[in-house]
Amino acid sequence: MPANPSMRSFLTITLALLLGTGLVTAQQWLSRGNHQVPTDREEVVFWHFWGGADRVIVEDVAQRFNESQAKYFVRPVAMPGNNLDLKFFLSVTGGDPPDLLNIDDPVIADWGHRGAILPLDEVASPEEVARLEAWLFPAARRLVTYEGQLYGVPNGLDIRALYYNQTMLDRYGLSPPRTIADLDHIAETIAPPGKSQPYDCHGYLPDSRRIWAWGPVFGGQFYDADQQKVTLTNPGIEVALAWMVSYRDRYGAAEIARFRHGDQSLPGKTFPLFADRYAVVMDGQWRVRDIRAFQKSQQEKGEPVTQFGVIPLPSPPDGKQNAGWVNGNNFVIPRGAKCPSGAWAFMQFWCGFDGHEAEAAETSVAGGWIPVSQQVVDQPAFQKFLNAEPMFRTFINLAGSDQQYPVPVIPGAPYFNNRVKSLAEQAMSSAAKPDLKQMLEEAQTQIQTHIDRARSQE
Amino acid sequence: MVGLLALFVYPFLVSLYWSFCEYDLINPPRVVGLANYQQLASEFASGTGIAKALWNTGYYALISVPLSIVLGVSLASLLSCDIRGQSIFRTLFYLPSVIPVVAASILWMWLLNPTDGLVNSILGSLGLWKPQWFASPNELVSANAFASSAWANNATPIGSKDALILMSLWGMGNFMVIYLAAIGDIPKSLYEAARIDGAGPLRRFWNVTLPLLTPVIFFNLVMGLIQSVQAFTQIYIVSEGRGAPADSTLMLSLQLFLSAFQHLDMGYASAVAWLLFAILGVSTWLLFRTSRRWVYEGVR
Repeated sequence: MPANPSMRSFLTITLALLLGTGLVTAQQWLSRGNHQVPTDREEVVFWHFWGGADRVIVEDVAQRFNESQAKYFVRPVAMPGNNLDLKFFLSVTGGDPPDLLNIDDPVIADWGHRGAILPLDEVASPEEVARLEAWLFPAARRLVTYEGQLYGVPNGLDIRALYYNQTMLDRYGLSPPRTIADLDHIAETIAPPGKSQPYDCHGYLPDSRRIWAWGPVFGGQFYDADQQKVTLTNPGIEVALAWMVSYRDRYGAAEIARFRHGDQSLPGKTFPLFADRYAVVMDGQWRVRDIRAFQKSQQEKGEPVTQFGVIPLPSPPDGKQNAGWVNGNNFVIPRGAKCPSGAWAFMQFWCGFDGHEAEAAETSVAGGWIPVSQQVVDQPAFQKFLNAEPMFRTFINLAGSDQQYPVPVIPGAPYFNNRVKSLAEQAMSSAAKPDLKQMLEEAQTQIQTHIDRARSQE
Repeated sequence: MVGLLALFVYPFLVSLYWSFCEYDLINPPRVVGLANYQQLASEFASGTGIAKALWNTGYYALISVPLSIVLGVSLASLLSCDIRGQSIFRTLFYLPSVIPVVAASILWMWLLNPTDGLVNSILGSLGLWKPQWFASPNELVSANAFASSAWANNATPIGSKDALILMSLWGMGNFMVIYLAAIGDIPKSLYEAARIDGAGPLRRFWNVTLPLLTPVIFFNLVMGLIQSVQAFTQIYIVSEGRGAPADSTLMLSLQLFLSAFQHLDMGYASAVAWLLFAILGVSTWLLFRTSRRWVYEGVR
């Protein structure tokens, strides 16, 4: 029992008042921020998932756009990336969607099919859309095209290639892999199969999720768009999977799972290539910056500088050159957006379409992003960047290849994506020798059932 | 009353209606009859989708709940002994259950890292097997576990679901506190009478403590079963949000979530929710039916 109840009440009321005042002040201060919309402009609310240094770049692009014209005002809103699609859907259902959304999941077709996002035909003229189609890299076009219509514009491409640790390869007298046989040779030289103890390093280990990249490299296609059929039993896919599973046969499922999981415990999610765990690793263009930062830190510490390189995915004799898996961040305009025309204007500004190539090149250089059109790549600012960063050129060349494929842009794509990854995981982690043909047939039937069901829902 | 109607009765009824509809959250629901339940039946028949989720959920619930009861009762019995530092031990064992699930999940992902996690480091230093934990779809309770090949070449049949069960046991402090309270309520006179009759510690536990704990064990059994079947957060975190590796952690709750919010199939997800409800309802009813045979309810 408190000695003085009136004092306690006084303190409680004072605390509540202070808390209330603090909240009101903070809310006003936060809402004022840097994004006060001028009265003569139309506001464009832009949801994105970038944080840290990337968020600063996004804010800078929005600011440059806002300064470049007098009609629209973009207000970027950083959203947590996890389940952004769920938050977006709830905003659409609740009747208050943003004007523009940036999303990196393979959901364009699902959302377009259900009318949650607008085809670009509804915000741009047919002539503009036709020019945009021709302007985009083939990979960028594939990412946002569903049933012949563009449903958005990628603001950057994510391309995978093989990074190699040249210093480590030199130690073993090896050269960078040019073929699949070379890659296997590197793996077997650095980590000879049959060792009874766990390995400390591997030449190369396939990641089961990367079946999406190796499939096209082996000449396979996961989906036949004309027939609307899943084609997992396509020989190229089966051969790619069999090649990946051959690593399970060499080293055992347990060793592969153990070693790959070990990558996740590297401090600060270090690129495994830096830790001398692998000689060759598949990864995206963002690692170029990591490599430069790593080499710089080695120089500063007075350590020998490790040499790295990057090459397109090597292919088998009957495979495809410059092939692989592409994904990207896509701008989409929600149905119900209050200012779709402003969203379209900002998309053009960011991507560089219709006279904005120089600005887009500046944005891509700042973020270390792959532009979506050769015309942006050709800008002096980006060429200067490429000359300073030759490793990045490999990714630019791959972006221009017509053998880069995304997860098929069809309703049910998220399930397709996960089911294929799960299939490869099952094959590579199987205790007994897996029957790949049967596994592919089963998965094909399941995925086909799922996408037929998704397509039938309108 | 308004809260009950808005937050319980309405979602309950509307999810039943949606389970007979095709509904993607954007467009209005369209009645499709039993199509969603037929889809569940066809997946069950082919051993895919819901069949996998049912297997994974059953494996997790049917192993973790009995284990948590056995360990919870054992620990509570030990902690009810008059020993030095009793309250410190009680606090230590209860502490994990107040740690947020997300933090605990990430902590366990570190601890169970196959390469350099603390658990495998200790097992390795003792010369024991080093399981792959969350990196493997294997199952310890399976016919495969008895094959010598399952334990050869550094391999073990221990996988992701076994790791989740281990995690669940770490957080059983809630149940242990209930057992402790129940043990404290057992009349001392019963123990004294048993001691006079010559009963040793084990017999006193078996003939006095355990029978008088059965109402609490029954309560924890029902609550534990419901909690384990509905477990979601830790599963979502350790499975990359998709049931990885190889669908081995695709439980009913995750299947429901993915169907509703990733595959935009709210009708099918509602049917899964009702299946979940039916399973829990039938299981609880069965437990109540059998409880008359083993739960001590005092002298009638």
